[in-house]
Amino acid sequence: MKRSVGLALGLGFAFLVFVSWKYWAGNDVTGDGMLTTLVIGITLAAIYAMYATGLVVVYTTTGIFNFAQGAVGAFGAFLYWELHVNQGWPTLVAILVVVGVVAPLIGVILDILIMRKLQGAPLVVQLMVTVGLMLFFLGITANIWKPDTPRSVTAFYHPDGFDIGPIVVTWHRLITVLVAIAVAVGLRFLLFKTRMGIAMRAVVDNRGLAALNGARPGVISATAWAIGCSLGALAGILIAPGTEFNPNNLNIVIIIAFAAAAFGQLKSLPLTLVGCLVLGVTRAYNQQFLSFGSDFPKSNEAIAPILLFIVVLALPQARLEVGRVVRNVRRVERHTHWWEAVIGMLVLFAIVYLWSDGWNQVTQNRWTLAMYTSIIVLSLVPLTGWAGQVNFAPLAFAGFGAFLFQKLAGDGSNALWLFVVALLCAPLGALVALPASRLKGLYLGLASMAFAHGMAVLFFPHPKTFKESSGKEAFADLRLFGHAFDERREYLLFLVIVFGLILIGLVKLRTSRYGRRWVALNDSAAASATIGINVRETTVLVYAISAAIAGFGGALMAVSRGTVNELDYELILGLPYVLLAAVGGIAYPIAALFAGVSTVLFFIVKDKWDYVIFAALPVVGPGLMAIGMVANQRGAVYEMGRGFAGILPWRSDAREEMSRENAMKRDPEIGDLGLTRAFTNDTVIALDRTLGIIEDVAVPGGYGRWRPAAVAMVGDGNGHATNGHPPNNHGGAPAREEVGHGAP
Amino acid sequence: MALLEAREITMRFGGVQALTDAAVSVEPATITGLIGPNGAGKTTLFNVVTGLLPPTAGRVLLEGDDITGLGVHTRARRGIARTFQRLEAFNRLSARDNVLVAAEARRRWDRSGPHPRQATDEILERVGISAIADITVGTLPTGTARLVEVARALATGPKVLLLDEPSSGLNEHETHELAILLRQLCADGLAILLVEHDMAFVMGLCHVIYVLDFGSIIAVGTPVEVQADHAVRAAYLGDEGAAA
Repeated sequence: MKRSVGLALGLGFAFLVFVSWKYWAGNDVTGDGMLTTLVIGITLAAIYAMYATGLVVVYTTTGIFNFAQGAVGAFGAFLYWELHVNQGWPTLVAILVVVGVVAPLIGVILDILIMRKLQGAPLVVQLMVTVGLMLFFLGITANIWKPDTPRSVTAFYHPDGFDIGPIVVTWHRLITVLVAIAVAVGLRFLLFKTRMGIAMRAVVDNRGLAALNGARPGVISATAWAIGCSLGALAGILIAPGTEFNPNNLNIVIIIAFAAAAFGQLKSLPLTLVGCLVLGVTRAYNQQFLSFGSDFPKSNEAIAPILLFIVVLALPQARLEVGRVVRNVRRVERHTHWWEAVIGMLVLFAIVYLWSDGWNQVTQNRWTLAMYTSIIVLSLVPLTGWAGQVNFAPLAFAGFGAFLFQKLAGDGSNALWLFVVALLCAPLGALVALPASRLKGLYLGLASMAFAHGMAVLFFPHPKTFKESSGKEAFADLRLFGHAFDERREYLLFLVIVFGLILIGLVKLRTSRYGRRWVALNDSAAASATIGINVRETTVLVYAISAAIAGFGGALMAVSRGTVNELDYELILGLPYVLLAAVGGIAYPIAALFAGVSTVLFFIVKDKWDYVIFAALPVVGPGLMAIGMVANQRGAVYEMGRGFAGILPWRSDAREEMSRENAMKRDPEIGDLGLTRAFTNDTVIALDRTLGIIEDVAVPGGYGRWRPAAVAMVGDGNGHATNGHPPNNHGGAPAREEVGHGAP
Repeated sequence: MALLEAREITMRFGGVQALTDAAVSVEPATITGLIGPNGAGKTTLFNVVTGLLPPTAGRVLLEGDDITGLGVHTRARRGIARTFQRLEAFNRLSARDNVLVAAEARRRWDRSGPHPRQATDEILERVGISAIADITVGTLPTGTARLVEVARALATGPKVLLLDEPSSGLNEHETHELAILLRQLCADGLAILLVEHDMAFVMGLCHVIYVLDFGSIIAVGTPVEVQADHAVRAAYLGDEGAAA
């Protein structure tokens, strides 16, 4: 552990020295300069601290990392603008309403409606839902307060302040710092001196045990979410005067809070505050003493991603956790045969071939978009769908693929270079995964998000990346064996073939030893290690493969568009890909097509019906769908595929299963019980209804309360006791199996 | 020289001392039992031996080599396999694939055995779960899933097999079958260390038994010796029971 900390410190310091030496702006280092750096740095740190402590409090009490923290802050800041600037409410009243009423209310509602149902859900689902919330809040903020009107919030008591030596400390800065100190002291008091705080810390250790001892987990998690959202909104309001006032910009600040929270290992508030201070002062130092010219115009933005990677390098290796296995797989998984995939892809090709005849250019472009999106999303199938690892950076890999393809293939645009591009993207994926794969899965999510943002602010805007003066790179039509795909329809069909080939390859891969190993890794990393699988090596390998596919698809994306620039690769633009993949049910490769087609459908709906509510649909849509994963984690293509499989002549298994399920829906005959039907809560209720024993049992949820013992005794026929919970109160979320599953 | 040796293992979690100078050694072709009341530290000892937990103090030796600093998968490759008290089966895979994953992993460091698919079929047959080979493990009853874990562990070609409460969830007949299997494996030269609460099962099966109480080994011996031991009776029945 000490060695890794030393390594990271050394690396960070060496990097700082190198950057300082190379990009020194030439200002003299004076006492005044340093004082200014410190004052600005501390003010920034104060704001970051509110974002970051909110994150940590929610994560430690509920186990859910709130990616939407920044977006809630953006929403709060705009609401403050509405009340204070637009409606003319006094500053303090507006702040109190936003921070003291609306934001906590949002937190409580989120907790009750969504977050409680995520307890014990797979990490991928937890992350997708909160990232979905991020897009949702961003979308509605942009929808309510249209970006076309310029808005701004002035600092408190602008521009007054007082002097410390030669520099002016504005009242706004002083207030910000004081508020942050009050928040820190208040949280410390709450967590260590109040009953609620002690209960909050107890819940972290063991939710069930804390509940047995009289703590109320519901009240506690609601409180944590209320505090988290309040702090987010407060930070959003305080940061607004000093930054560009738009939702995206106010949201992306959250990357800084991620870095600070990682500094505190997502649990230590004091260390998180230290992280904030490091980040704030580094940023101020950068502004004061360094100058990157036109090479790295957004260098300020890159500090947090870089620090996050350094922190990830320094963190001690995580232990493989035991006892987290989700053990209520309800159904037998069936593998798609490779020939089924071939038939499916031939059908897809035939449909596109017949349908696309006579399409106008707009339609052709849309379906081209659908296809290259689908190809990029395929990269998430082995990684997220099978190995259960998160990657928020497929678009960054795609951009890197586009960059490589242009440099290698140039105007010749020979398609064979695509394979070289894929080969070269793989090491980049490995590089992202290598440090984070030692840690808990969440860190891989954070690291990939930091990577995506880092690429978007450092690599893509660099003048040498996309070279032309406008910052755009032009891509020529693709050529394969001397044939140029200069006709749009032909190119679209080519994309369909490429998609089909990768999909068939993935279907084969799933039943290979690699596919098995990745699924095994997802089911239990600890058990994988005890049978001799190198968990880290396996994770890095699957990440590399994913990056290769994404880079391959990214080159096709660039060729399809003709031109790309740095703005095409912003972090936010990549998130819908990931969310739609998850919503589609990315364990099945065909979910990639679902993601691609959904992307296009959102645009079509938005263009066709020019209503206000559809304006932000391409962002809000994926967000909302991802939030819906609370209720259905299996994914859309699974549900669709089930209905479809029944009509295929060779799928008698699907028909049998459907008829079994239909049989379950009718009320039971007494003779059925325990023989042809499992004996579950539902059957008990249905039976009571049949026998007319109880008249008002219409609400199944009421059952577990007054007869838990009776219900807990019966199993569902598979040897799993039903735990006395009312049926489906998790909305299909896999509850972790509890003790006492008796053998039948 | 013992095949597997845990020397003076101490494990501290914050203020809780889960193991204090616990020493266990396991010989080839021997079934060694590890018993003790709930919370005695049995599973913790398993985790230390397999590398899932780094001990606060003490060393783990395999064939005389110090393996305390090695990672979990490296130890597995050197011949330590285990099952889990709370199941860690690959629930989305079929029983066959659970075993096959392990057999395929083994090919990475040991190419001597039969082809993974063939090895898998043999092991499924031997453990007696061929009939359910194609069923997704997450849908199997707990007891059967435990047997899948045993089969998976065997597929790595271990020298020593650690079983954490293998009979829990099994019915009487299945427990009997398991005992026969373990005796066969032992006769083939495999060293087995098992944690178990079913006393009849342990006493009838083990050659040597270690008794763990509050993190310390309080008795070692044959089943007869251990059953007669005062400290053991005190631990299980309370001081009065020992006095009686």
